[in-house]
Amino acid sequence: MSTRLVGQACAVAVMLTLVGARGATADMVDFNRDVRPLLAAHCFSCHGEKQQESGLRLDRRDDATRGGDNGVAIVPQKSGESPLVDRITSTDNDRRMPPKGDPLQPAAVELIRVWIDQGANWPAEGDATKPAGPEHWSLRPLVQPAVPATATAASRNPIDAFVAVNMAKHGLQSSPEADRRTLLRRVTLDLTGLAPTPEELDDFVADPSADAYERLVDRLLASPRYGERWARHWMDVIHFAETHGNDQDRPREHAWPYRDYLIRSFNDDKPYTRFVREQVAGDVLYPDDSQATVALGFLAAGPWDESSLMCIVDDTVDKKLAQVLDRDDMITNVMSTFTSTTVHCARCHNHKFDPISQADYYNLQAVFAGVDRADRLFDPDPAVHQQRRLLTRQKQSAAALTAEQLLGDARMQSEVAALEEEFRRAGSTWVPVVATTTSAGGATVALQPDGSQLFGGTLPDKDTYTFTFETELPAVTAVKLEVLSDSSLPHRGPGRQENGNLHLSEFKLLATPASGGEPVAVPLAGAFADFDQDGWGVAAAMDGKIETAWGIYPQVGKDHAATFVLREPLHLAPGTRLSVVLDQQHGRSHLIGRARLSLTASANPAAARPLPAHPGGPEPAAILARSAAERTIDERVALARALLEWNLEGQLAALPAQQAVYAACHEFRGNNNFRPAEKPRPVHVLRRGDINQPLAEATPGALSAVPGLAAKFDLPTSDDEGARRRAMAAWLTDPANVLVWRSIVNRVWHYHFDRGIVDSPNDLGHMGGTPSHPELLDWLAVEFRDSGGSLKALHRLIVTSATYRQSSAVDAASARIDGDNRQLWRMNSRRLDAECIRDAVLQASGKLDLAMGGPSVRQFNESKGIHVTPNIDYRGFDVDSPGNFRRSVYRFLFRTLPDPLMESLDCPDGSQLAPVRSASVTALQALSLLDNPFVVRQSEHTAARLNASASTTPERIRLLFRLVLLREPTVDESSQWSAYAERHGLANACRMLFNTNEFVFVN
Amino acid sequence: MSLTRRDLLLNLGSGFGSLALAHLLGRNDLRAEPAAAGDLNGGLHHRARVKRVVQLFMNGGASPMDTFDYKPRLSELAGQKFDPGGDTKVESVTGSPGFKVLKSPFEFKQYGQSGRWVSSVFPHMARCVDDLAFLMSMSSKTNVHGPASYMQNTGFVLPGFPCMGAWIGYGLGNLTDNLPTFVVMPDAKGLPYNNQGNFSAAFLPVKHQGTIIRPHLADPIADLFPPKSASFITPDSERDGQTLLAAANRAHEARWSGDSRLEARIASYELAARMQLSAPEALDVSRETAQTQSMYGLDAAPTAGFGRNCLIARRMLERGVRFVQVWSGAAGPSGNWDNHANINTELPPIALATDQPCAALVQDLKARGMFEDTLIVWTTEFGRMPFSQGAAGRDHNAGTFVSWLAGAGIKGGVAHGQSDEWAWKSLQPTWCYDLHATILHLMGIDHTKLTYRFNGANRRLTDVHGEVIKEILA
Repeated sequence: MSTRLVGQACAVAVMLTLVGARGATADMVDFNRDVRPLLAAHCFSCHGEKQQESGLRLDRRDDATRGGDNGVAIVPQKSGESPLVDRITSTDNDRRMPPKGDPLQPAAVELIRVWIDQGANWPAEGDATKPAGPEHWSLRPLVQPAVPATATAASRNPIDAFVAVNMAKHGLQSSPEADRRTLLRRVTLDLTGLAPTPEELDDFVADPSADAYERLVDRLLASPRYGERWARHWMDVIHFAETHGNDQDRPREHAWPYRDYLIRSFNDDKPYTRFVREQVAGDVLYPDDSQATVALGFLAAGPWDESSLMCIVDDTVDKKLAQVLDRDDMITNVMSTFTSTTVHCARCHNHKFDPISQADYYNLQAVFAGVDRADRLFDPDPAVHQQRRLLTRQKQSAAALTAEQLLGDARMQSEVAALEEEFRRAGSTWVPVVATTTSAGGATVALQPDGSQLFGGTLPDKDTYTFTFETELPAVTAVKLEVLSDSSLPHRGPGRQENGNLHLSEFKLLATPASGGEPVAVPLAGAFADFDQDGWGVAAAMDGKIETAWGIYPQVGKDHAATFVLREPLHLAPGTRLSVVLDQQHGRSHLIGRARLSLTASANPAAARPLPAHPGGPEPAAILARSAAERTIDERVALARALLEWNLEGQLAALPAQQAVYAACHEFRGNNNFRPAEKPRPVHVLRRGDINQPLAEATPGALSAVPGLAAKFDLPTSDDEGARRRAMAAWLTDPANVLVWRSIVNRVWHYHFDRGIVDSPNDLGHMGGTPSHPELLDWLAVEFRDSGGSLKALHRLIVTSATYRQSSAVDAASARIDGDNRQLWRMNSRRLDAECIRDAVLQASGKLDLAMGGPSVRQFNESKGIHVTPNIDYRGFDVDSPGNFRRSVYRFLFRTLPDPLMESLDCPDGSQLAPVRSASVTALQALSLLDNPFVVRQSEHTAARLNASASTTPERIRLLFRLVLLREPTVDESSQWSAYAERHGLANACRMLFNTNEFVFVN
Repeated sequence: MSLTRRDLLLNLGSGFGSLALAHLLGRNDLRAEPAAAGDLNGGLHHRARVKRVVQLFMNGGASPMDTFDYKPRLSELAGQKFDPGGDTKVESVTGSPGFKVLKSPFEFKQYGQSGRWVSSVFPHMARCVDDLAFLMSMSSKTNVHGPASYMQNTGFVLPGFPCMGAWIGYGLGNLTDNLPTFVVMPDAKGLPYNNQGNFSAAFLPVKHQGTIIRPHLADPIADLFPPKSASFITPDSERDGQTLLAAANRAHEARWSGDSRLEARIASYELAARMQLSAPEALDVSRETAQTQSMYGLDAAPTAGFGRNCLIARRMLERGVRFVQVWSGAAGPSGNWDNHANINTELPPIALATDQPCAALVQDLKARGMFEDTLIVWTTEFGRMPFSQGAAGRDHNAGTFVSWLAGAGIKGGVAHGQSDEWAWKSLQPTWCYDLHATILHLMGIDHTKLTYRFNGANRRLTDVHGEVIKEILA
């Protein structure tokens, strides 16, 4: 029989062996984590809160200790004398517990045995009658413990003092400091993700000064490589990737600015409080800093279900469910990352183990009920950002200027007069067009006395109008489209839709030479309109996307105008025929009812844009047509205001283009059935998480179990979504939020030691790990919080400790006591992660390109897919394309099609939070590291480098060992590897060395 | 205690040595341990009926009322506004103006001893009905491809959860050292909705990920061999290289004794070498007789692609692959089972491409005695609407759809569940949880006990649901 259960059988065997030798116990069994779930599963139904068969109750410590009608059940330290063990192991069916169902598995029995023999330690909070309350360790107030005075000779800082106390308790001895090569490789990879160079090794080994290591640490922390390394850790935690991750796995072209924000924030050592606040509410808290808006990429980092949220129609169960799940992803990201709580477990019921109610959960959903994920614009240049804010503010205040301010002030009067003159100069150049006009949808077209065309008759769903004409102008720099009201149109138009609206999907200008031939599309530079419907700006009419459009709702019953500026002047040979195509593909008869076109040859066509109109006010264009003397006071006010705004719009339009970032937003251009929420969407508690069973409406708030912090947010108005997030940011960064400070120091510790003080970095709750060094954790948390939240200071403290600097060699005596090294009697060795391996290979070949930032590098071929998701081809990709030599943090991260090499090395794909990376060993991983085209080609590059740098094979092998392993080969190694290289080529030797354990592990 | 080399080979990637207790102490690995005694026939919690599974996944939402779920009522109501009565709201996710009842354009007949109704699009499967157990009224939580595909594959509508093949590999381990435990063959036209998300190990160790095989390509398994362009890599360089590498790793391990991960990595290279030998042989359908190839439809253009993948699936199963998933249809709004525009023209070609190969797999496994320990599962992500989208298409419908099972432990010719008179909703819904629980049950796994701790929860393939469907068990 080839079927084997080795995984299980083997584990049990090892378990029994270790337990057999428990005189020197291997590890402590933790009641809450290990034993209580077993009792809950097998015993509580008859010996719990509801029933106490034979008077025995096992869900509370005191009752369990007391025993039942038949006496004690548990005899601490004596599993052999404990009736509990006797009953769960009995082969007599009448005695065996539980009486129904399967007996406990042998491993479960062993855990209970070991727990009893270790003293049946049952902490107070293990009572199952109520979820962990404030007495759960992670919710207790943070008080900084005194640093123990029992420091040993090896101690370098407070960390070592805390570690030493525990070691003494367990009879353990710390390990000696690692040698300099090991230290250098360890700390360099740890802080920067890159391997040290042979030269750096020589320098460090030769440095006689006492603080050589400390200076090395300072240099590494100051290196820009540090931010790249730790940003990648952060990207794991928050499941950052650059595609949507569902069936419509569309690339996010603008996710990368957030990655650059992370790298910059780590390199700048941004105080943690600020870092947290920016990522939750940077736009509202720090409007002067455009990077704080980029930080909102955090909330949008996870997957997004495009087909459910964009493609399917509104008001369906599927759509509502998708919105709940979308917010679920956001709050899971926020709460797991910053507070290390598992709030997502409370979506369908109160948290089974932690004090998190379903109400808490839905209150958190309400915090984010006003935001979606979409591209939002920002100015990367801080000066431009300030300028745009200033002009925008001025434009807003221009709209609010009183008649007194506009007309009573001489300086203002002369400014307005000058602007009117400027406007006239720009506008007077418009020449109306006499065109032949057709409607593809079959509408009638009637030329009006003012030169406009009125559309009527058949009312199709969609339509395309074509205006064909010639002009006597020698050149054209812009085209103006006026859409005009008319009594024949619904609500007087200017649209044919029953509400008077229109949607212009695309505006196109085509030129056909007199000689004939195909019409050529004339490129456009930009567009201005006097009014844009919310989410339907005029830029959408020239973005090449048929699904976006310009609209004017609710400003119906009025004339509107849009100006389309050509990228460069179109010089016209006589006889050139022009046509303007107005594509209106939105559907439901969002069609233009009456339209007129004009052309200009003005050298400053941007100034030829229309005056902005104000809802309900007089029409500026009409006022302008009359002489100054004929204007009423109201009209003069309206005109002055319009001219000021027109001027500011021009200045705004002249600013450099904005950059987009994929982030949380409450305002964005809608697309299909995906639209911004005008105000936060109502959130209801859902019975059993079922979208069809809504209960009470939730109000914004966070966890109710953090002592000293109010759960409900005190918000003046319920509709201000920004205020909700601002309150959330304040809640998270309150000094009293004990979870946040414990969470971050533990997370940083995890990355340095490959295991946290609590080994579940995203779960400090009841089902998470217990701290191996609780006092140290609290000491670090308070130290970090109260000294300004500097991550670099925390790193420095940790990596300069004697604990960190220990050798990772296994001491047999210590291993017998603490085989798992929870007490840190040695350093943990670890397998390098995917990025470190890939980057180190590039370092060895000399190809590594250290350029920072910018759009992610697509290390695959991309072609149009059958539907939304593109075809992604890693196999055919040219591994020598320059972008392939960038650091791995700059790779484009495709969720449902990850890079096969990186995936085989456990790089997460961004579908789930990854607070801990596994370090698996598989046959496919071995194949990837041997045969992936990247490794194969880099082996050749490395060989070329060696050939160029040394002249004999042994010298080349020596250099190879120094580059890859950071050491000299032994005499035997030199001869073996040289012989292999002589026989099969240096590239094969490089490839094999990249596959050694010594390369992929760091000690 | 020392682990044998074989233990290591079979146990790559999971914890052992000093890590074993840590694992048992409940970080992640929460598989309940097998009972100490008794032959479970490879099962984890009870005796297994099934050792290996082939799942045929019809991507896009195979229409029930045009294939296996005969609804004469639709012919009576054809062209009328669909009215289920009461105040039930009729929804349609991509829009079905008018909600006009659309009858099936295909002729239905009864087949076999069991008298199952099958439409004219499946003439070959129709002859197998007495071997198949039908789930006549599966139901899904969502009408959208992505979440629905995730749900049928992983039990969750969100990305990031392990699929059934990964769970089974995690629970039961491998049957062979020479081939991957879990193999996926996508349609030659492309990956399904969610791409590789449907075959993901998610938070389970990456070794449980589905290995993608694309038999139509020159290199069907990525990185199995070096790129052809790398002429410096030869069989000799590989043989000597492996020796050199092993020697280096042994010497290193001697300096860092006590770390089982080092030993595991050494073993992984031996396994990799075995896979290089075994996989090409398993993929070589030319070793099959002409008669077998013809049975799977390799000699006819419409059936050749899916037929070859089904035949390779059988060869994989024979050689000890535990779970094979074969996909029909790539992602996208057409060219698969997502028949929005015209059921009469879109369904027959994709049905034709799969019908004979599916039936051949049933017959072939029976003939070879593999029906004794192999399970075949035919599934899709949801059904289609009884009313029309456009003139003659059908929109997505999570309400009811059909799956079938055949093989070891399955009672042939039975049907479980029932849809309403229009095939619009289930009368007694069967969920993916029930299907998954049943498959795990047949493999000797109690679905409530196969768990993995991730991010605060003990996750299961069946979430907190799932009932074994006893009616279809032999």
